[in-house]
Amino acid sequence: MKVKLTTKILDANDRIAEENKRMFKDAGVYVINLMSSPGAGKTSLLEKTISAIKDKVKVGVIEGDITGTNDAERIERLGVPVVQINTEGACHLDANMIAEAARELPLKDLDVLFIENVGNLVCPAEFKVGEDMKVMILSITEGDDKPLKYPLMFQESSVLLINKIDLKDLLDVNIEKIKKDAQFLNPKIKIFEISCKTGQGINEWTSWLLTNIS
Amino acid sequence: MHEASIAYELLNIAVNECHKNGYKSIDSIKVVVGRATGVMTDALLFAFNVLKKDTIAKNAKLIIEELPVRGVCKDCGKEFESNENYIIFECPNCGSFSVNLLSGKELNITEMEVS
Repeated sequence: MKVKLTTKILDANDRIAEENKRMFKDAGVYVINLMSSPGAGKTSLLEKTISAIKDKVKVGVIEGDITGTNDAERIERLGVPVVQINTEGACHLDANMIAEAARELPLKDLDVLFIENVGNLVCPAEFKVGEDMKVMILSITEGDDKPLKYPLMFQESSVLLINKIDLKDLLDVNIEKIKKDAQFLNPKIKIFEISCKTGQGINEWTSWLLTNIS
Repeated sequence: MHEASIAYELLNIAVNECHKNGYKSIDSIKVVVGRATGVMTDALLFAFNVLKKDTIAKNAKLIIEELPVRGVCKDCGKEFESNENYIIFECPNCGSFSVNLLSGKELNITEMEVS
């Protein structure tokens, strides 16, 4: 026999993402979903950002990786609570993984929770996890054609951090083109040029962040 | 895209629905996929056929109906439709990117054949 249905396939994820959002709101924690391709500098950015703001706000981190605990160990050295999720192959974090990881964190004692998503320019942008804001990093070593090749992440993110600008004289990369194409896809996107190596631009980013999460 | 996750979710939904209503097996599942979702239908089929093996949907056929992208331009007011796999939404009439999507983001199960 035939059975008619009208079920959205990603409803389960979206529903859990909404529950996460409520849980974070009740705990008074602002949640940032940090996304990029592998090696763009997510963990380095977290190290710089957390060092700059941890005296002013209480920070927690959920680290997502396919396997391994390297990143979580780096964050732990900063003295903030961190939970590692290993997706064992999955290319993104979903709402359910976040719900489980969040239980391991002292949410009520936190002001900001960073979720470092799996390194991938495609899938993480497609799964809500209950975040307040999506932030992405693109490093200039990846090339200036990425916004138009991977538009969704640029369209979904509130902030674009263009990283590794200390290398700009060594590379044939047009940073203005990255900015122009990102703004073309998302006129509201806030852009910072940074270098996690030299610290350039980190102050501007963390000042903006502190203003926008409080 | 993440077709394996989507195939996993849709199998979950279909199997749970059957368990709730006492059906024993699934012969077919119909889904609609908007062309703006970024879902590759071949990859979805492949993932479905791998994941269904140990479930009551092991003999099920996945029937995928693709829906075109439809939108209305906020600048010139014209409606448009495209069968391309759109990701960037541009009004074909005036080139504006200020566009409201009317359809194309669908990812729904619409029907199952069960016994």
